[in-house]
Amino acid sequence: MRRQGKSPLRLLGIAMMLVFFGFTLLPIMWALILSFRPASHLFEPIWQSPTVLTLNNFDSLLRSDFPMALFNSLITAGCSTVLAMIIGVPGGFSLAKGRSQRRFIASWALLLLRMAPPVGFVIPLFLIYLNVGLLDTRIGLIAAYMVLTLPFVVWSSWTSLAQIPDELIEASMLDGATLFQTLVKVVVPAARPGLIATGVLAFLIAWNDFFFALVITRGNTVTAPVAVMNFVSYASVDWGSIALASVLLTLPTLPVIIFANKYIVQSMGGAVKG
Amino acid sequence: MMIPSAIAVGVFAIVPLLGMFALSMTDFHLVKKWDHEFGFQNFIKLWNNKRFINSINVMLLLSVFGVIFQVALGTLIAVGLEKIIPKWRFMRGIFVIPFVVPAVAVALIWLSLLTPTLSPVNDFFDIFGITVPALLTSQYGAIAAIVMADTWASYPFVMLLILAALQGIPSDLDEAASIDGASKLQTFYKITLPLLAPALLMVSLFRFIETLKHFPLIHIMTTGGPGRSTQATNYYAYIQTFQNSNVSYGAAIAVFLFLFAAIISYYVARANARINDA
Amino acid sequence: MIKRHITAMLGAAILGMSASVVSTAHAADELNVLLFAMPYTRALAELEADFEAKSGMDVNIEVIGQDVFENRIALSFTGKSGDLDVVHAPVIQLQRWVAADWLRPVTAEIDAMETKDDILAGPLDSFVVNGENWGLPFLAGTGMMAYRTDIFEAAGISEPPATWAEMLDVAEKIHTNETAAIAMRVAPGQGFNMFVYPQIMRAYGGTFFKDYPTDLTPSMSTPEGLEALGVYSTLMNDFGPQGIGSFNFAEVTAAMQNGQVAIILDESGLIAQTLDPEKSKFADKISIAAVPSGPAGRSPAIAVHGLGIPADAPNPAASFAFMEWATSEEVLTKIAVSAGFADFTRASVAENAEVTKAFESIHPDFLSLRVQMLNDAIGHYRPLIPEWPQIGQAVGENINAAVNGLMSNEEALEAADEEIAEILSE
Repeated sequence: MRRQGKSPLRLLGIAMMLVFFGFTLLPIMWALILSFRPASHLFEPIWQSPTVLTLNNFDSLLRSDFPMALFNSLITAGCSTVLAMIIGVPGGFSLAKGRSQRRFIASWALLLLRMAPPVGFVIPLFLIYLNVGLLDTRIGLIAAYMVLTLPFVVWSSWTSLAQIPDELIEASMLDGATLFQTLVKVVVPAARPGLIATGVLAFLIAWNDFFFALVITRGNTVTAPVAVMNFVSYASVDWGSIALASVLLTLPTLPVIIFANKYIVQSMGGAVKG
Repeated sequence: MMIPSAIAVGVFAIVPLLGMFALSMTDFHLVKKWDHEFGFQNFIKLWNNKRFINSINVMLLLSVFGVIFQVALGTLIAVGLEKIIPKWRFMRGIFVIPFVVPAVAVALIWLSLLTPTLSPVNDFFDIFGITVPALLTSQYGAIAAIVMADTWASYPFVMLLILAALQGIPSDLDEAASIDGASKLQTFYKITLPLLAPALLMVSLFRFIETLKHFPLIHIMTTGGPGRSTQATNYYAYIQTFQNSNVSYGAAIAVFLFLFAAIISYYVARANARINDA
Repeated sequence: MIKRHITAMLGAAILGMSASVVSTAHAADELNVLLFAMPYTRALAELEADFEAKSGMDVNIEVIGQDVFENRIALSFTGKSGDLDVVHAPVIQLQRWVAADWLRPVTAEIDAMETKDDILAGPLDSFVVNGENWGLPFLAGTGMMAYRTDIFEAAGISEPPATWAEMLDVAEKIHTNETAAIAMRVAPGQGFNMFVYPQIMRAYGGTFFKDYPTDLTPSMSTPEGLEALGVYSTLMNDFGPQGIGSFNFAEVTAAMQNGQVAIILDESGLIAQTLDPEKSKFADKISIAAVPSGPAGRSPAIAVHGLGIPADAPNPAASFAFMEWATSEEVLTKIAVSAGFADFTRASVAENAEVTKAFESIHPDFLSLRVQMLNDAIGHYRPLIPEWPQIGQAVGENINAAVNGLMSNEEALEAADEEIAEILSE
């Protein structure tokens, strides 16, 4: 191993990384600060009164429907992820290891479904839901999130499962296991990092949604991203509550991504191996 | 094993999509009485609609510049993490944070940073008597603002993918090059970058399609303004569908977007197939 | 040919879906109320238990953000799911909702009210469309000016500007980098810049249409219209705070409350908040004045909000009982006192001793100025036609583009006329 010298190039590189670090952190720090600022001091420079902080924003947030909305978000995004994994992973497996001749078409179709603009198909979805009574139900929202998560799960698990050596599967089949047993007992454990990454990303896709929840939920099942918009009201924009809600909206997924990012990198390695 | 997935994809995704195509061929409107006209009249109207043409321009500006900045920043940070500060592992966890901030929150946080009366950035430069221009009130400023917020939120995705690609490059290549006397920059340009090319292409196409779907950033940060300078096509479809209640016309715009995305996803699928088969 | 049949069938299927009524009607003693967030609606939600005790019904008042409300409401009405009993009904949307058969008329119920004469006539009449009454008003907001007395004094100005021409002079005298002269809404939207801008346009004799309501030929691009837009652009660009080009009501109000601007023109309820020492740092240095006039007189902005009953509401009698309670003297008085709600719609509330005391402490002339502005306002300040929401959006975008220098004032007004004609011809 060569020692890395303090060459000008390296210093420049470190400086560059520090700038990027600042760019990444500034909005996060700002959201944290806003969360604790009283409305009366929002519009003056932070260094004029750095110690004027308040917990009032927590009060107003707790009194609103935001905690319930956060819960709704967790339930719906979580269930749709689990369901999409259960249905989608076997599909990805058969695409990765089956003898299908239509892989290219399948890959294109899956991508396309994932890329389709929600503004177009949310209205048909609304009309269907209206008739089958799924409006404002958690089940309806979970099903709607499947539109987003399922194509992604099939596509992403396909990429990860393709890396499992064929010999492993053949050996298991020779031992007398059925295809399904092989999938559950051999393939899934072997592809764990990729599947964890798939699940995390699918959850984020559903967690992020604004449009579906806007159209097919009402009071009972409103999700957190829509509830945040309720703080933008006629009399004033409640910046403190908005910032706090934004922070809370990020918190549940934060530990997941910090620990799971190495799995994502590993699983993407399969998708982009040179 | 394909069957449950195929059925589920069919039910959950294809049915609403067919509904979108069907709607686009009608004159369905939430407020007006409908005349039972079917056909391509919505698409013909689109062809002559100046606001629609403008929206395509805006969309391309947002997507092209968005992708350029995201990919550049994501790649630089990934390379930096691997080559400049490889020992600071925890930094990776921090650089990935924006990835999990939901788009609604991204938009609101950046809106507060770009509102001159509220922003600490403006306050800071005021100390030195420098007036930071209000981005959201000029045509290209507003586009730049959305590109900036989108770059912030999306570079981690690029970074993760490039990190993965970098780790797939055998390190003996680098060492061989440095033994041959190549400088670090030379190694990067001559060896690393070409090896990253397929990954870069793929992540660019991926992000390009995602940026076509911008909604919360535009809706919250600019509502399409000033004037119409940030009314991208997806947002224009929203205005027609929700504000004007012209559901079939909105669906026609969505169909156009869908076809556009179809062309690009074709190339993503091809790039993907090539990488996987290599 | 076959293709045409297929699309026709698909279309019919979709339409069939939307038309077929699936009743998800709720229990008979339950009442669902959907409102969007304002000081009044928030305060009303807190009084929910009062009505429950009085009526024995189970009331759910849901207060959501205006943006979410507007995106959802048309679909809710179209769905005819019968799950809403009372909705927030802004007059500006009323024509459209009535044209689409979304509301149920309440003329007979209102005529039978004992306290009908106590409701302010203007706001109540604004709920009349096609000879029927479609709602009960709870809010009547109008345009007002708030200004900083200390800044005016320092500049040697004794009176607030009475005309827009004087406004330009005053703005020039008091504008500094620290405290901009004036702020108004500029963000595009029928309820945003199109709420305040017609105050200037009408003062200069500009109109939206040649002869509303008989001749709906667009007429924004006239010398009068151009002069008005020139005044608005100059005031905002030369004498407005930084970033004014995207200001909405929240930014305008906050700028006044935090001393970043010397004059604002906005809605009366928001002006009241700049006078409230708990919310406004300069409350004791802020006074109020009438909306400036022009060669064609004075035209203060007006906004009326009320409550209406969706056409498919299962229990209209209960719905109306709620509306009557929510807009009663008792409730409006309570909210006027507790939330500083200034836009109440009953004459008796203005005479209530507690209310007059509360508003006198804010500003002695507030209530009388509000009445004066409401009297000067014309009902069709923003045209009362079903297409207005769409027209207001299109015009608002063009006016915003002109103020932000994206196009010239002439181009913006010509584009506005063109687009109004297009929307009306559809």
